[in-house]
Amino acid sequence: MTMVPMSYTFRSLFVRKSSTVLTTLSIGATVAVLAFMLCLQQGFQTMFVDRGSEELAIFMRPGATSEGQSAFPRSRSDILIKETPEIAQDEDGKPMGSAEVYLAIRRFKVDGGETNVPFRGVDPMTFALHGDELKMTEGRRFEVGADELIVGKSLTERFVDCAVGDTMVVNVTPFRVVGIFEGKGNQNSEIWGDSNRLMEALERRNLSRVVAKLKPGTDIEALADRLSKDKRVPAKVQTEREYLSSQTTTLSATFFILGGLLGGIMGIAAIFTGTNAMFSQIAARTHEIGVLLSMGFRPFAIFFAFLFEAMLLGLAGGLFGCLLVLPLNGMQTGTMNAKTFSESVFAFQMTPTVLIAAVGFALVLGFVGGAIPALKAARMSPTVALRRR
Amino acid sequence: MTENQIELRGVRRSYERGGERLDVLQGLDLTMATGSFHALMGPSGSGKTTLLNLIGGLDQPDAGEVFVCGEDLARLSNQELAQWRADHVGFVFQGFNLLPVLTARENVELPLQLTPLSRADRRAQAERALELVGLTERMTHKPSELSGGQEQRVAIARAIAMDPDLILADEPTGDLDRAAAEQVLELLGQLNRELGKTILMVTHDPAAAEHASHVVHLDKGRLESITKNPERVRSEA
Amino acid sequence: MLRLVLRNLLAHKTRSALTMCSMAFAVCLMCILQASLIGLESAVTNAAVNRLWIQSAVSLFVPLPMSYEAKIESVAGVEHACKFQWFGGIYQDESNFFAQFGIDPDSFQDCYPELEIVEGSYEAFAQNRRGCIIGEGLAEKYGFALGDTVPIIGTIFPRTGGGAWEFVVEAIYRPRTTAMDRVTMYFDFAYLEEALRAGDSRGAQGVGVFLAKLDDDADPTEAMGAIDGFFENGPQRVQTTTEAEFGRQFLSMLGNVPAMLAAVGGAVLFAIFFAVLNTMLAAGRERMRAVGILKAMGFRNGFVFSTLLVESLVLCTAGAAIGLGISIGLEGGLQSAFAGMIQSFEISSQVALGSLVIAIVIGTVAGIAPGRSAARVSTIQALRTQA
Repeated sequence: MTMVPMSYTFRSLFVRKSSTVLTTLSIGATVAVLAFMLCLQQGFQTMFVDRGSEELAIFMRPGATSEGQSAFPRSRSDILIKETPEIAQDEDGKPMGSAEVYLAIRRFKVDGGETNVPFRGVDPMTFALHGDELKMTEGRRFEVGADELIVGKSLTERFVDCAVGDTMVVNVTPFRVVGIFEGKGNQNSEIWGDSNRLMEALERRNLSRVVAKLKPGTDIEALADRLSKDKRVPAKVQTEREYLSSQTTTLSATFFILGGLLGGIMGIAAIFTGTNAMFSQIAARTHEIGVLLSMGFRPFAIFFAFLFEAMLLGLAGGLFGCLLVLPLNGMQTGTMNAKTFSESVFAFQMTPTVLIAAVGFALVLGFVGGAIPALKAARMSPTVALRRR
Repeated sequence: MTENQIELRGVRRSYERGGERLDVLQGLDLTMATGSFHALMGPSGSGKTTLLNLIGGLDQPDAGEVFVCGEDLARLSNQELAQWRADHVGFVFQGFNLLPVLTARENVELPLQLTPLSRADRRAQAERALELVGLTERMTHKPSELSGGQEQRVAIARAIAMDPDLILADEPTGDLDRAAAEQVLELLGQLNRELGKTILMVTHDPAAAEHASHVVHLDKGRLESITKNPERVRSEA
Repeated sequence: MLRLVLRNLLAHKTRSALTMCSMAFAVCLMCILQASLIGLESAVTNAAVNRLWIQSAVSLFVPLPMSYEAKIESVAGVEHACKFQWFGGIYQDESNFFAQFGIDPDSFQDCYPELEIVEGSYEAFAQNRRGCIIGEGLAEKYGFALGDTVPIIGTIFPRTGGGAWEFVVEAIYRPRTTAMDRVTMYFDFAYLEEALRAGDSRGAQGVGVFLAKLDDDADPTEAMGAIDGFFENGPQRVQTTTEAEFGRQFLSMLGNVPAMLAAVGGAVLFAIFFAVLNTMLAAGRERMRAVGILKAMGFRNGFVFSTLLVESLVLCTAGAAIGLGISIGLEGGLQSAFAGMIQSFEISSQVALGSLVIAIVIGTVAGIAPGRSAARVSTIQALRTQA
């Protein structure tokens, strides 16, 4: 079957410039909203969930769902680290576990306002635990027993007193910032120091959790099961990956749902817009359709030509929408982690998934918006269409 | 009121089209007496419609004077022209040009909205006009529900609803079959004879032109001839 | 003229309906976004001026000694002090998030004149150690009724033997203003404290924050200074803030969320504006010949202009009215859907008016473009246009 030449479609779009541009802009804005939410979700996902390690285990008090709720006295965390055979050992035969104290503390932002920033007191073993994934980008590590801090790289620009050499007062104790580090995920928006020093400065009696590297091939489920029933130090054990995803599923899902909801509602509105645009195209070109039909083009070819035109509009809108969101790629944003009431910083990420989803969505909008008008065009009787001027 | 409803002196009008200058009217003089019925004939591109637009105040000449109903149209602003048209001219077009969304009566009533008449008066006047064209039965029909001849009669009713001095018709029978055309021409003649309307009608059709008192022949923007049609000339203007 | 406008709209039923629907959806979305924004900020904007919040100077998450209650009450200008302990428990599943606070029944009601008991009685709650008082939003969402036992799994305060805490619903409240949300559970702090002391539950002893209700004639700034000063030398320093400031710290934790909501609203506006403009331009194009006829008859440019403008306005306001209707219809459902995330969700007259104004502005601007070209086009050209 002969198709209506594509050049007809392109010319038509070009001739009706204002309509084409306006429809594209309208669909573009809709797609932009969806892409925007997806970029957030993707950024969040890569930041937190995908970076979690399977080799590291998190030990918390039973029942706790986040480290803010968990507590161990030093005596118990020592037992956990020393007497759990599944924990790997370093070259010197020391177990690779670090007890951590965690507290979110109000800090001033550079642009004004206050928000909670997570402070984490860690054991020296922590650097061995994280290995290459934790790098000092500036300055040096804190020294054991010293009132020194290292700051996650996402914080330096955004909070006051976070540059190397600054003095930061924790409760009433002055600490010196000696380094900037780059870790994974949320570590970049944390401030770290010696666990004993921070416990004292923060007047905390308990540690929050234990992080440990497991020996290769450890059955973590068996370990979790055993420790949950342990008499001396009952503990809840998760891999780091599990822990991180449990911390963020709600928020990640919220972005996803919100993106879907907003995109959906706006999408319906955009379909109406597209349908409208195509209907007025067809009304204006009734005579042309009559000519095409009388020349011998089949109704299906007409249907296809108009559907194609609508989908081209959708495609243009989709690309435009992605373009609108593109400048946000890599931009950092923060939002509250409802579990810890502290800010998590992450970056918008324009992944291929986002692009494909956004353009696909735009094509669907074009298809749905164009189908009915195209059907109407295809069903016209050539004589009636020709008579209309 | 002057003796002559229309007086054109040295009227010139040209257009730019595709970068070329097109002299449509080249110094035209024309006089039409009050109460006359002129048919305007000539080949395509001879300037018939341009002349009609100038007389109807839809267009302005580049040079020359256009006196219609005692006004020098060249001196009027756009807004004044609009008011002048409402007061003096009724148009009838080839394509009927009724508003498709309104019924016959509403179409006829439309220009009356420009007057201070009450709603009821407007309605009555519109109904009288429709009665005059013989379409009382069809008042509530939309244009799409009327035949071509009926549509054109509604358009004529609309043109006379304001009781204008002058009716300008651009190929009023161009889209009609013979019988319907005859009816419309008869109606125009009747308006001319019985109500004393001055009529200028552009037409291609010699048979249509026979209904007029004078036939003006235009060619290449110049007046070629004016022939009188003795049996149609009214006894006394 | 209105008749002409209405006839034109009715003559293109599909187009009018589609445009109105997209307008309706857009307005509905804008209402929801706007209401969410206002709701998020309501804790700050509607904060009481005579309530102060006292937290540890170190961190919100460091508890204060219980003995501070009497000390705070001794400060001049303080009428009552009330303990507030964030419980952070889970009802059945983590996704069922709502806040629970341990409070002092003997002072809580005096601190919150906003509290209106709609079912049960405050006295019954005060007398039952395991009693709780819940917001009507919780009653609606989870079907809790008076006398029901609500099991809550402790996370900060887990029961030693495992299992859930059990609270008995003794009263249901409704907030009189949006300074308070309608989805919180309040229970007797003493119940928690006794369990901790008896070893039935693990967790830190102490009080998260204190609430101080001031005398009517007390100066909040003075009282804040006095309270902070009182504990300057320990054992634990405190930070006293106004209720607005206290609310703001939670709002600022949301980071860019309010800005994002606003950005989405902007995109909605953007999309709908182009959609309406497109419709009106199409309407204007199709109407060119009619414009020519009207002008030939002697109608002024202004009339032609206003027919298109009014048409656009009618479309937009009608669409906006429908959208507003939908969002008011959705209000109840969204209120419970957003419960816990947003303090209060209300399609207020402010929101409604805002959306209508936006619709009218869009309608006006979108009507001007085709209206102007219709007013400007020469009569002859308009008549020559093919319909």
